[in-house]
Amino acid sequence: MKSAKSQLTALGAPAVIFTVAMIAFPVVYTLYLSLEAFSSTGTTRFVGAGNYTRMVQDANFWDGVTITFYLYFLSLALQLVFGTALALLLFRAKRLPGFVRSLFISPFMMPPVVAGMMWLVILDPSLGAANYILTSLGLPPSEWLASPQWVVPTLAMIDTWQWSPYVALIVLGGLQSLPPSVYEAAEIDGASGWKRFWRITLPLLLPTLVTAMVLRSVDLLRFFDLIYITTQGGPANASLTLNIYGFRTGFEFFQLGYASALMVTLSIIVLGVTLVLNRLRHAVAW
Amino acid sequence: MSSLATRPSDRLVTIIDVVLLVCAGIAVLAPVAWMVLSSFKQSYEVTAYPPTIFFEPTLDNYRSLSETTPFLQFGLNSLIVTIGSTLLGLILGAPAAFVVSWTRVTWPAIVTLLARMAPGTLFLLPWYVMFRQVDMIGTYWALILTHAVITMPIVIWVLLPFFDNIPRSVFEAAQVDGCSPLRIFWKIALPLVASGLAVSSILAFVFSWNYFLFALVLSNSDTKTLIAASFNFIGEGSTNWGGLMAAATLIALPPLILAVIVQRWLISGLTLGAVKG
Repeated sequence: MKSAKSQLTALGAPAVIFTVAMIAFPVVYTLYLSLEAFSSTGTTRFVGAGNYTRMVQDANFWDGVTITFYLYFLSLALQLVFGTALALLLFRAKRLPGFVRSLFISPFMMPPVVAGMMWLVILDPSLGAANYILTSLGLPPSEWLASPQWVVPTLAMIDTWQWSPYVALIVLGGLQSLPPSVYEAAEIDGASGWKRFWRITLPLLLPTLVTAMVLRSVDLLRFFDLIYITTQGGPANASLTLNIYGFRTGFEFFQLGYASALMVTLSIIVLGVTLVLNRLRHAVAW
Repeated sequence: MSSLATRPSDRLVTIIDVVLLVCAGIAVLAPVAWMVLSSFKQSYEVTAYPPTIFFEPTLDNYRSLSETTPFLQFGLNSLIVTIGSTLLGLILGAPAAFVVSWTRVTWPAIVTLLARMAPGTLFLLPWYVMFRQVDMIGTYWALILTHAVITMPIVIWVLLPFFDNIPRSVFEAAQVDGCSPLRIFWKIALPLVASGLAVSSILAFVFSWNYFLFALVLSNSDTKTLIAASFNFIGEGSTNWGGLMAAATLIALPPLILAVIVQRWLISGLTLGAVKG
């Protein structure tokens, strides 16, 4: 049996070594880098908590936190509402032709970068199709991604377009696993459709919704591709999320130590939100 | 549940449902359709205002992509990085998933979830310092190794339920016959999870292909992937929307085709086992 055990170890070893070398060690190394300052000549100097004290005094950092959470809450709320609505529709349609399903997976399997390129053209303030539609409906045109005021809602809208179908397919799986008997009982009691949804479907669906929230939260808090390809944090830093700010600090200004401190902080935020949502998931489990 | 739709009042609801469903479909599809349409427009037509829906289609944008940009080279780079990292993910992840399923020691699989949760920049900063020291920035290997951080967890988490579904008695019988774990893995378990291998490879391919951040920093002009080169097309795109949309369409095509093939397993694969599809 001893050789059986060593063979199993040998099978698992490459993955463990790779995980340690490429995932675990770099995380520890970032923690160390976050205690250093990099000069423009490439030399490093140990500054202890210096990067972190700089961070709490950095207005860009606090703005980044605010923008990150603004974008996060707005996108998450929109995606949960639209995703659940779409799931209920798909569920009532019962037999779903395969091509309909393919249609709804296409937004989120498209690279976010391509979605960004696509929407850049559609939302172009002067020649885009979106403003043409708005003005033909008698509405005022918008600057969309070029407006400091509207850039975050616009990014949230694009992300909602891309990921609501994903939330919908997760929720649809939850709907399909609900016991039919509760509906039949509710119908015998004469509960209306609206009441059935609020009193029965939604409470039973909560664990699935929280799972979808966890999955989307992880992506939304570190939102990167779409912002970087469309605005790089602009205009006037209005979409400079913590992740974008950290990336630019590291790879445009090469302040690798300070960027590490920012990324460690963002990772702790992601971890914290995930842990809170996981507790919530246990609380609503049935 | 079928009884719900049998009353006449409910039949009315289904017509509204169909209308809503069609609206949702249009909302999802219209931007994509606009992208594809624009890619077939002449340069004067693509920026026409008001925008045109009917036009004489042309392939000029696609033709000029390979003439004015190293599109084919970028595409080849993308293929090298994507296939390389998918293979590496399989080589590392498939045996690991087998061991996790066999021994129920799950912590290595859970550590890989870190890669799914933490912002990519958290890894990119130390990698950049590490790869710079060994002079590997701009090499295919730097990209393949870093993209394997995306693909390996996908392979492990997608394959795990496939291995778990094999009855334990199959392994036990093989062990009684004197089969070593290595042989059981290679000769019995792997062939039994062939469909899982296909699904995990395709998902790994899609995610590696779509990944933007690592190549943005770790590639150079010779090894740049299509996704990381998107900036080049946008630079051109300020005057040339047709070319930009042609590039966008071509970049999106491989993941979309592959996703449709594995759509049955898509959700359980995407959520790394958190949701059964």
